[in-house]
Amino acid sequence: MMFTRSLSAIPLIVQVTLRQLLGRRRTILLVLLAAVPVLLALVFRAANSTDIPSFATGVLDAVAVTLLLPIVAVLFGTAAFGAEVEDGTILYLLAKPISRWAIVAAKFIGAVGVTALLTILSVLVAGAIVLGTGGEAGAEATRAFMVAMLVGSVCYVSVFLTLSLFTRRALLIGLVYVLVWEGALSTLLPGIANLSIRQFALGVASAFWQMPDEARLTPSTALPLAIIVVVAALALATWRLRRFELAGSGD
Amino acid sequence: MTVESSQGPVVYTTAIDPAPAAPLAAPAIELINAARWYGNVVAVNDLTFSLGVGVTGLLGPNGAGKTTLLHMLAGFLAPSAGTVHVLGRSPFSDPSVYRQIGLVPERESVYPFLSGLDYVRFNAKLQGLKNADQAARNAIHLVGLEDAMERPIGTYSKGMRQRVKVAGALVHDPQVLLLDEPFNGMDPRQRLAMMDLLTQMAASGRTILFSSHILEEVERIGNDILVMVAGRLAASGDFRAIRALMTDRPHTITIRSSDDRRLAGALMADPTIFGVDLGKDGLSVRTAHLSAFRRLIAGASRSAGVRLFEVVSGDESLESVFDYLVRR
Repeated sequence: MMFTRSLSAIPLIVQVTLRQLLGRRRTILLVLLAAVPVLLALVFRAANSTDIPSFATGVLDAVAVTLLLPIVAVLFGTAAFGAEVEDGTILYLLAKPISRWAIVAAKFIGAVGVTALLTILSVLVAGAIVLGTGGEAGAEATRAFMVAMLVGSVCYVSVFLTLSLFTRRALLIGLVYVLVWEGALSTLLPGIANLSIRQFALGVASAFWQMPDEARLTPSTALPLAIIVVVAALALATWRLRRFELAGSGD
Repeated sequence: MTVESSQGPVVYTTAIDPAPAAPLAAPAIELINAARWYGNVVAVNDLTFSLGVGVTGLLGPNGAGKTTLLHMLAGFLAPSAGTVHVLGRSPFSDPSVYRQIGLVPERESVYPFLSGLDYVRFNAKLQGLKNADQAARNAIHLVGLEDAMERPIGTYSKGMRQRVKVAGALVHDPQVLLLDEPFNGMDPRQRLAMMDLLTQMAASGRTILFSSHILEEVERIGNDILVMVAGRLAASGDFRAIRALMTDRPHTITIRSSDDRRLAGALMADPTIFGVDLGKDGLSVRTAHLSAFRRLIAGASRSAGVRLFEVVSGDESLESVFDYLVRR
């Protein structure tokens, strides 16, 4: 009874989550961000530069994977629960006879959906503009980066969503993680690059195309690591939600 | 329990099914030495009481711990000590209790992009109700929101938002309904109608606990009340007995008149007055019986031939009433 009720609650909560996440301001900001790779593609195209590796390294990797993906994921991932905790509407979900894993699953599906859709579309359009001229190799590169976006969306969102159940500063901490840990530190200390979601995404994607040098993990290492991160994060989120307490106001 | 017949026009039509016939062996709500603290701050301390079917008002000033108590009952705070039972179970981290509990939180926000009907239907579906649409329409009807049910909640007034929250909380016909300051933002007419609704739900076998910091709200429907002050239960029981305690406490009244000295002499003779001070700003009188004093002052001033300019009762605020109850 509880299980079937929980299962059928998932699409309902996903629907509400989507409408929440696609509020006007956040959406406009993120669509503008997603347009950056597309604009860069147009510049490449205008300059008649259709060199596939340099476009893949300079735009798809450096802009789409390194900046667009984590920023979109941190905004949607932390907002999926964060916005509801902030304004108290989370109570309407929690005061229901449904298992907490179902609520986590619904929030996860909603946030991954919008993150993946936006980032994959951005890569697809940018790739079509430049790499379409590169024939089969171009199509393969585009496909590989679309896979990177999918894997990255799933991993980042699971981590940021869980983070937002532990702290109200999840957005800030998430951005610091992306910029400091994945950005600066992993350039200085190549060892820790293996412990970054960016590397998991590039590693899995390298199964589809010979990725630029930035990809340090093989697909057979990256995929299990990605799965472990996602499962652990979602299990932690469920555990946290089971013991969810309202922040004490003293009243 | 008796159902008060409403005086004013009945705004909401009510069609509440009686609760399942089986009487509860245990009280619906039971707390034994329950306490909750946050770090070093004690929000609620040593609460012991039980509630059965009926409406109970939870009265107390802001910060008294009313919300903490309601959140413990709703399973959103674990007691730091003692036990909290709702329908014989501990509500914390047991989602299945929500089949039988309805909660109306104090915070106003409801998904602004949903229409009232969508929101209540969403609640009904999450409860797993078979006929969610019909249940949602019934609940909307109970709170009198039919006219606005297709509009997004973002366009609702405060009072409408409160009512849609109530509809969402009772759509699954819970045995226990917990409401945190439900009358905030309602106009007097909506308030009366909501009070009638709660009274009728209680009459059909539900246990309803609502909080308020306004004495008059509790007076109107809560036959039984719990008074909380500074995290403790200051008083509980029949409303009228507690009301008498609240009114028959020492009062200080300041009076300005055409002849304070003469009036003081006239008042001193009365046994209900136990102190008179003649000051520069007027006469201050202490009495334990405010109602008796109100009758006395008019006659006394007339027979003494003194005109009254101002009669101010010093500490009428609810906070001072609560303070008195705690010190008692």
